[in-house]
Amino acid sequence: MNKKTVLEVKNLVKKFDDFVAIDDISFSVKEGQIFGFLGPNGAGKSTTIYCILGLIEPDEGEIQIFGKDLKSCRSEIMTQVNYASAEFILPWNLNIWENLLVYAKLYEVPNGKNRIKELLEVFEMSHLKGRIIRDLSTGQRVRINLCKALLNKPKLLLLDEPMASMDPDVVDKGIKLLKQIQKEENMTVLYTSHNMWEIEQIANNILFINHGKIVASGTPLELTQQVLRLEAEEPNLRDVFIHLSRS
Amino acid sequence: MNLKRVSAIILRHFFLTMHQLERFFDVIVSPILVLVLWGFLSKYVQNIQSSTLASFLLGGMILWVIFEKVSTDIGVNFMFEIWERNIINVLASPITFIEFISALLIISLIKILIAFTTMLLMAAIFYHFQITALGFGLVLLWINLFIFAASFGIFNVSLILRYGHSIGPLTWILPFFVQPFAAVFYPISILPPIFQKLAFILPISHVFEGMRYTLKTGQFDTASFWIATALNVVYIFASVGFFVYTFRKVLKSGRLVKLI
Repeated sequence: MNKKTVLEVKNLVKKFDDFVAIDDISFSVKEGQIFGFLGPNGAGKSTTIYCILGLIEPDEGEIQIFGKDLKSCRSEIMTQVNYASAEFILPWNLNIWENLLVYAKLYEVPNGKNRIKELLEVFEMSHLKGRIIRDLSTGQRVRINLCKALLNKPKLLLLDEPMASMDPDVVDKGIKLLKQIQKEENMTVLYTSHNMWEIEQIANNILFINHGKIVASGTPLELTQQVLRLEAEEPNLRDVFIHLSRS
Repeated sequence: MNLKRVSAIILRHFFLTMHQLERFFDVIVSPILVLVLWGFLSKYVQNIQSSTLASFLLGGMILWVIFEKVSTDIGVNFMFEIWERNIINVLASPITFIEFISALLIISLIKILIAFTTMLLMAAIFYHFQITALGFGLVLLWINLFIFAASFGIFNVSLILRYGHSIGPLTWILPFFVQPFAAVFYPISILPPIFQKLAFILPISHVFEGMRYTLKTGQFDTASFWIATALNVVYIFASVGFFVYTFRKVLKSGRLVKLI
């Protein structure tokens, strides 16, 4: 079956003074894919994501989301896109319900209150809805970030290390929930992480970027076979990561 | 109390001040400006013995608060999004930056309407000062003040965008740079000639001149109103233009995502 292209990045270039953060990269992500976007620190992953969100203007290239040009249709596109990163939290002084209500309005979610209730139940957070964000544990904050990211039932979800520095239990639960929701809602996900176990669990396609260039792509197993050894039967992204980062 | 830890924090702020020269404004420039302001006021009080003086001072203070609060509130609200590490989540949503700034303006408008009403009531109850004696003219003065404050607030946000939240303390201080020349508590004529020229190009000084004229004569100062309005048109276009220019620059340079 020929799946629709949700995200298409063509010849993207971004320089910060003399530093080339993104060096002419092109890729496309199909509907329903969970795309692992890997690379060492400073490889250009976050810059690419910010370009996709329209928060950094590329020097060259084109980004199309749902077949529309990002530059001219950003607001319209973003109603069907969402983003989460462990680096950015929701306002500390508001409680969970208030925060999610603000974002439901920002994303123009129809029946916002019902959607919030639904998500809080899925993430087992209903009993905490009146709790102020600063009083939540780190794991709970991650779950609330994911609730916020799923509010508008995004067709494209950008997750930039959403579970960074979480314990394995939190990551495991988060991954299972995400996979379940992604399947139910046929979401397309672009996921970055430095935790290779996390990526192996969630991603069905990988794009590896280093020094702003795409250096490898494929399924986790294909990538392992390409980079490490042809006879590999299990993906080993950790070794792939080390090999590609050092080469 | 552990004095070592206390001194470490003092040292940390000393280093911070060394790296952020705008912090000196808090310490030195702001007190100087207050001194200049009250100096001019003293001179004016020496020259005038009028029953309307109290009205001028109270009216000036009440209208000044509109300008000061609105102009700082826009910047402070913007900085709150940065302090709470929420700005990227907000800007990654469908909202445009213009919508975001408009929302900040509306928040300031609502807050100042509440503050203004409270001040009017208190002035009437405790000082028997009826600023409503200005009649419909009060609304016109108010609109001009709000527009100038909004221009100022937008300029402030542009500076934060460009230089980051370390420039934040300027948000509170910038209005006081204007105050001595805005003829809030004294007429433009009391200022030295060079400052009179400066006052003339500030819409706010014409608002205060208009307020005093109306309180003194009971008639609306049409000339001051139109001069203030014309200047406001220039200022609002200039501040929005500067903001759009800065926003495009920070999108290009990647500073927008480095605000936190």
